Amino acid sequence: MIAHAIFFYIFSFIAIVSAIMVTVSKNTVHSVFFLILDFISISCLFIMIGAEFLGMIMLIVYVGAVAVLFLFVVMMLNVAHQKNIFFKSNQGSKHIPIGLFVSLIIFFELIIVVGGWKYKPELNNISSLETTSISNTHSIGYVLYTDYIHLFQLSGMILLVAMIGAIILTYRKREGLKRQSYFSQISREKIDGVDLVDVEKNKGIKIDV
Amino acid sequence: MNIDINLILPEIFLSLSIMTLLMIGVFKKNSTSLIFNLSVLTLLILSALILNLSNIGETFIFNQSYVIDDFSNFMKILTAISTIFVMSVSADFLKSLNIYKIEYPILILCSLLGMMVMISSNDLIVFYLGLELQSLALYVLAAFNRDNILSTESGLKYFVLSALSSGLLLYGCSLIYGFTGSTNFIDISSNTYEVPYALTFGIVFILVGLAFKISAVPFHMWAPDVYQGSPTSVTMFFALIPKIAATCVFIRFLYVPFINMIDQWQMIIIFISIASMIFGAVAAIGQKNLKRLIAYSSIGHMGYSLAGIATGSIGGIQSSITYITIYVIMNLALFCCLFMLRRNNNYFENIDDLSGLSKNHPILSLSLLIILFSLAGIPPMAGFFAKFYVFMAVIEQSMYFLAIVGLLSTVIAAFYYLRIIKIIYFDPSKDKYDTNHSFGLKISLLVSTVFILFYFIYPNSLINIISKINII
Repeated sequence: MIAHAIFFYIFSFIAIVSAIMVTVSKNTVHSVFFLILDFISISCLFIMIGAEFLGMIMLIVYVGAVAVLFLFVVMMLNVAHQKNIFFKSNQGSKHIPIGLFVSLIIFFELIIVVGGWKYKPELNNISSLETTSISNTHSIGYVLYTDYIHLFQLSGMILLVAMIGAIILTYRKREGLKRQSYFSQISREKIDGVDLVDVEKNKGIKIDV
Repeated sequence: MNIDINLILPEIFLSLSIMTLLMIGVFKKNSTSLIFNLSVLTLLILSALILNLSNIGETFIFNQSYVIDDFSNFMKILTAISTIFVMSVSADFLKSLNIYKIEYPILILCSLLGMMVMISSNDLIVFYLGLELQSLALYVLAAFNRDNILSTESGLKYFVLSALSSGLLLYGCSLIYGFTGSTNFIDISSNTYEVPYALTFGIVFILVGLAFKISAVPFHMWAPDVYQGSPTSVTMFFALIPKIAATCVFIRFLYVPFINMIDQWQMIIIFISIASMIFGAVAAIGQKNLKRLIAYSSIGHMGYSLAGIATGSIGGIQSSITYITIYVIMNLALFCCLFMLRRNNNYFENIDDLSGLSKNHPILSLSLLIILFSLAGIPPMAGFFAKFYVFMAVIEQSMYFLAIVGLLSTVIAAFYYLRIIKIIYFDPSKDKYDTNHSFGLKISLLVSTVFILFYFIYPNSLINIISKINII
């Protein structure tokens, strides 16, 4: 039990610190990396409370797709070295009080939500919900591949159409592009590239390319 | 759970063919013609597979979320066959715009798959996924001619507005789920004995989404621009096939879960129907572009088919299905004529370009005459019978106001159809158009025109099939 608690505190600490670092780091690329670290530690926390499906989805969707997309955008727009005027301006920013105000409201809302849920009279004990011994992934899989198999396959078709559509609307064959052809490179013989010429003295040679 | 795989064989076959065709197209160079032919073959086999299910009766699969009955089979065959015609007339046109690519038939097949799911859906989630599959393919098809600014504009416009309407539709779905505790149509219908207001709101939101998909007034704003901007073959697809699927969902959604709440939704449908009929008739008068004119005319036609749905009777549904069937055939023929206005690989789409067509092209003019008479609802063409059935059903339910407005807007609409005929026959003639059309185009025009012209000889052919449909 003590090991469980230690792991919980390690992951929570990393999650909180990296969440703070996302907002305060001045380099945008660093922010995105901290965001990825945050997602990973939160998915570890999910796995620790037994929600392993949610944890894995978090890894696949947020880390694998969303964060990498952010990274692409940040790198393509080249905002990495844009210095943040927000923290540096001398006359003091006017955004900070409003930001603090909004975050205070959100903080109190969270307290009200959690408190209201915690002290609700007909609150079910969480342990009573665990009626079966199978894992989340299993139980989702049991219905996803039996009762809802047609919906699952249809979603696959929708993704296929999205992919075809994205390709047909954006792909352009470029003319005059030099591509690497392994086959012609490997099959190139000495006779194609090398020409042996006897050079006469004091005359030189004219080479046609 | 034991599923008879034969029941969803058409859908499985279609999805597998889409993937196979995609693989062939990607790995084989210059295979566009092959893919076009193979996709027509796929559609033929698909129709045969659906026809094979026709004697099964009403069957539910996947925990009652998917239904196969006479209604769904008829609508599926109608979509599949009209897609065959769309495919067979569009190849030449795509070549002239340099957008003859393998993705075109594949996206059309994907959209068809979505529509088949919509037609068979008996559950809000299944219905929504089918709707998204078909719209996603349609967004791409509208912007298919991506180097043309009108086409990209129409794709973007359709995408933004359609996403908005999908959002409204989903909000309606969530309200209905919240107040009935189920997404299944049958479970919903057994939970609607006491009617909270929020459920009515849910129905209204879903009707907004659906009315957008069939471009009924007041959710029609996108239709003229999208119809004009998209490549003509895509416009043809837009004008014909999504309307079949959306009408089908309209009927199933209103009549299976919410037939108890007819007092709540009947007025809404009557309003949409009247507004579409009047607007479609009046707004088309000033148009100069044939594709825009077709857009407004299809808005008007959707109004008539909704008038049948508004009756709340089985005769009304059947008249509505008949109307949409004949509408599809008439518009198919009209678009075939539009494809024939070609000179040196340029396609013409303005009404002025039709001027004096009868001098140089008597046969084309004659078929246009038949088609336009039919669209205007002049006997003995098929279009007259379509309107006749709808008005009969409406009058049987003593909804005289709806019938009178419908008749009046028919008279107004006849003006702009007849004006085109006047331009064709009495205006000074222009240069000749090309006459070397593809076999598919000629045969499509022939089949549809002959159907329109000779429907009155044996009208029971269609009525007998449709009278079996009963979903209440």
